[in-house]
Amino acid sequence: MNMHSADATTAEEALAIQETIDSDMATEIAMQDTLLTPRFYTTDFDELDAIDVSHIRDEWDPLIDRMVSDPNKGHFKKNADWDEVDWDGMDPQLKKEFIDFLISSCTAEFSGCVLYKEMKRRGSNEEITQLFQLMARDEARHAGFINDALREAGVAVNLGFLTQKKKYTYFRPKFIYYATYLSEKIGYARYITIFRHLEQNPQYRFHPIFKWFEEWCNDEFAHGEAFALLMKSDPKLTRGVNVLWIKFFLTAVYATMYIRDHQRPAFHEALGVDTDWYAHEVFTKTSKLSEQIFPITLDIDNPRWEAGLKRLQKANVDLADAKKQGRKVAQLGASIRAGLAFVSLFTIPSKKHAVPAKTRLEPAY
Amino acid sequence: MGFFTRTKEHTPCTVEISHKFESLHAHVRFNNGAVIHPGDEVQVQGPEIMAPFGEIVTEERDAIILRASTIERLWTKATGDLEVMELCEFSFSEEVTL
Ligand SMILES: [Fe+2]
Ligand SMILES: [Fe+2]
Repeated sequence: MNMHSADATTAEEALAIQETIDSDMATEIAMQDTLLTPRFYTTDFDELDAIDVSHIRDEWDPLIDRMVSDPNKGHFKKNADWDEVDWDGMDPQLKKEFIDFLISSCTAEFSGCVLYKEMKRRGSNEEITQLFQLMARDEARHAGFINDALREAGVAVNLGFLTQKKKYTYFRPKFIYYATYLSEKIGYARYITIFRHLEQNPQYRFHPIFKWFEEWCNDEFAHGEAFALLMKSDPKLTRGVNVLWIKFFLTAVYATMYIRDHQRPAFHEALGVDTDWYAHEVFTKTSKLSEQIFPITLDIDNPRWEAGLKRLQKANVDLADAKKQGRKVAQLGASIRAGLAFVSLFTIPSKKHAVPAKTRLEPAY
Repeated sequence: MGFFTRTKEHTPCTVEISHKFESLHAHVRFNNGAVIHPGDEVQVQGPEIMAPFGEIVTEERDAIILRASTIERLWTKATGDLEVMELCEFSFSEEVTL
């Protein structure tokens, strides 16, 4: 609602109204517009509907009950802990990388929300649709919270993508389980590692949003638990040839995180975090957690692991440079190097272990 | 839906965009229960729908569903998995250097 200054009864009021309008307009104009572009997927919804949780009910029901009780309902609010951020005084490179971090986090939360909502809409198995509805609720809340931090930084998120043409890609449900399970668990590990680090070293906390990471990542933890149980409902998903798929997803998710985190050096420096240490820490936690359902973990202490990641990262940077400069041969060379590096990571023998009978875990880091 | 040909369908839909602090989301619901299959394209007609900060906007619109041909549908189902890396994009940006 915008009141016109002519509606004011006193001069003070008129001035106050005019001031609000001016500052509103200034924000609107200065706002840098960012179009959110989530992806759209379809999957085999009949397969989702066929999921039967009756034999894992002892673990399923408590998880759903807790999500229904919504322990984080009041958490995503700004309170006195949300201190003023000096955006203008921030180092420009840090600001750029931090805003990129916020935008990509917001997109990720938002895409999760779109995916979960779609699964909720299309499914007819009530236990499954309820789960996806609850997760969509959380992700929309997370996205809203980041969006607000972005607004403070003068970045407006544009949701106009709906009126653009969009194509629906297809994924088999099991791929959605593997990838989403890992995204949720690695998301937890990333947030909690930063949170604990800043708890010890508060001088590096350059933005208040990090204070919210602890409860936040508990949501992601719970989402991961739900996917672990979905996979448990059908033991074939974690056996036989599927173990190779699991290895593929572990390698792909870890490698992608490594590459992308190395693209934000100023961000990690400001947090006082060594990117290699951080990656190793997050991989260790995620691997430990994923033992709840996956029969293998990657051997991240094998010397080939670190070396392969470094080569992959280098090839990726070279590829981007070659693309920018339009050098086709260099582009091909870098792609081949990246492919070989990935194969080398993928072929490191994995560690096998027995999967516990009881799957459910509580956040303990 | 033809084997090689695409078909166009019009369907009324409800669009909801929430630009609130508590929830940032955007959804389209087809009012006639139309179902999207692999490879289909959807476009909501009309001007961009914008929700001002702090508001939820709900609009009735017309959507065009461009149905993939049978062959495209099979193709998308067979190859869609190759794009699975998109699912792994949890906190990532496309840019290699910032
Ligand atoms: Fe989230
Ligand atoms: Fe999540």
